[in-house]
Amino acid sequence: MQQNGFTDDHLDMLRELMNIAMGNATASIADLLEAFGKMHIPQIMISDMEGLDSYIQQTIPNDQRNYVTKQLFGGLFSGEFLFVISEESALHLGHHLYDVDKPSDGDILDAVIELTNILSATIISRLTEELNTKVQFFVPSTERVDGNSLISQEDIINYHRIIIISTEMEFQHQNINGQIFILTKDGMIGSLKELIDRKLEELYA
Amino acid sequence: MKILVVDDSKLARLFLIKTLKELEPMAEILEAENGLIAVELFKQERPSAVFLDLTMPVMDGYEALKEIIKIDSKAQVVIVSADIQAQAQSTVLESGAKMMVPKPINSEKMLSVLQQLSI
Repeated sequence: MQQNGFTDDHLDMLRELMNIAMGNATASIADLLEAFGKMHIPQIMISDMEGLDSYIQQTIPNDQRNYVTKQLFGGLFSGEFLFVISEESALHLGHHLYDVDKPSDGDILDAVIELTNILSATIISRLTEELNTKVQFFVPSTERVDGNSLISQEDIINYHRIIIISTEMEFQHQNINGQIFILTKDGMIGSLKELIDRKLEELYA
Repeated sequence: MKILVVDDSKLARLFLIKTLKELEPMAEILEAENGLIAVELFKQERPSAVFLDLTMPVMDGYEALKEIIKIDSKAQVVIVSADIQAQAQSTVLESGAKMMVPKPINSEKMLSVLQQLSI
């Protein structure tokens, strides 16, 4: 099966590299929370904006209120990192980190930003390291939105073909979980394919 | 000598097999893409060592490890996983794994693993 020049080998390699990156991130978050995180198999798909919208709707309930943090990253592998955590999970996160029954909105937002920083830095840095390239991070932004407002009109204009890499962060005993999406758009798909080709050449050499 | 390599990623298996073959060219390598197939292969083939991933569909590595140890309490199982949490390591060691090594495993690490196994 081929999607935009991506073979099953490309997708398998990307899934495996994401698995390694997510393993590092889960360990860092586990240290922060002093808890054990369950690892999930990453999902990889190549889609258009409608496909992304439908995928997000399947993954995140429409009526769920969420904290959504978006961070752009640049380099030969560039795109956007999205971390979505429900308000309920964010409350549990604040409760767990600050050890108080009712953390303030500010405390919860700080906790979400801290968690996202660790996730994005660890996952994207490890992915780019495995792809033998470098990354530059841009300033993230966090907002509170409904499940059906995760993708903005601006996103729809900016993206045409997208590689969606997604997985779940899950700390069952703390009732903390969130969804991670990495979106790589249009011209960068070719660049990413070249980086994966180099890894495949190393493997098959 | 038979070695069973278990991972849902074909490339991860290929990478591990390539590294193993550099050090143990005569080894017969068996492959499984999930824990369920791995347990069946273990029953039939009784490999000298098993390299087992944790996060897999159908049956994960934790469950497969328990099943393999039920079949042979002395089975030499090495967990090769992206999950580098201390608790994951203690869980698999308590369940009978000989050791746990983080992915990706290179030749140097593989040499050290093979030296520690009694195969």
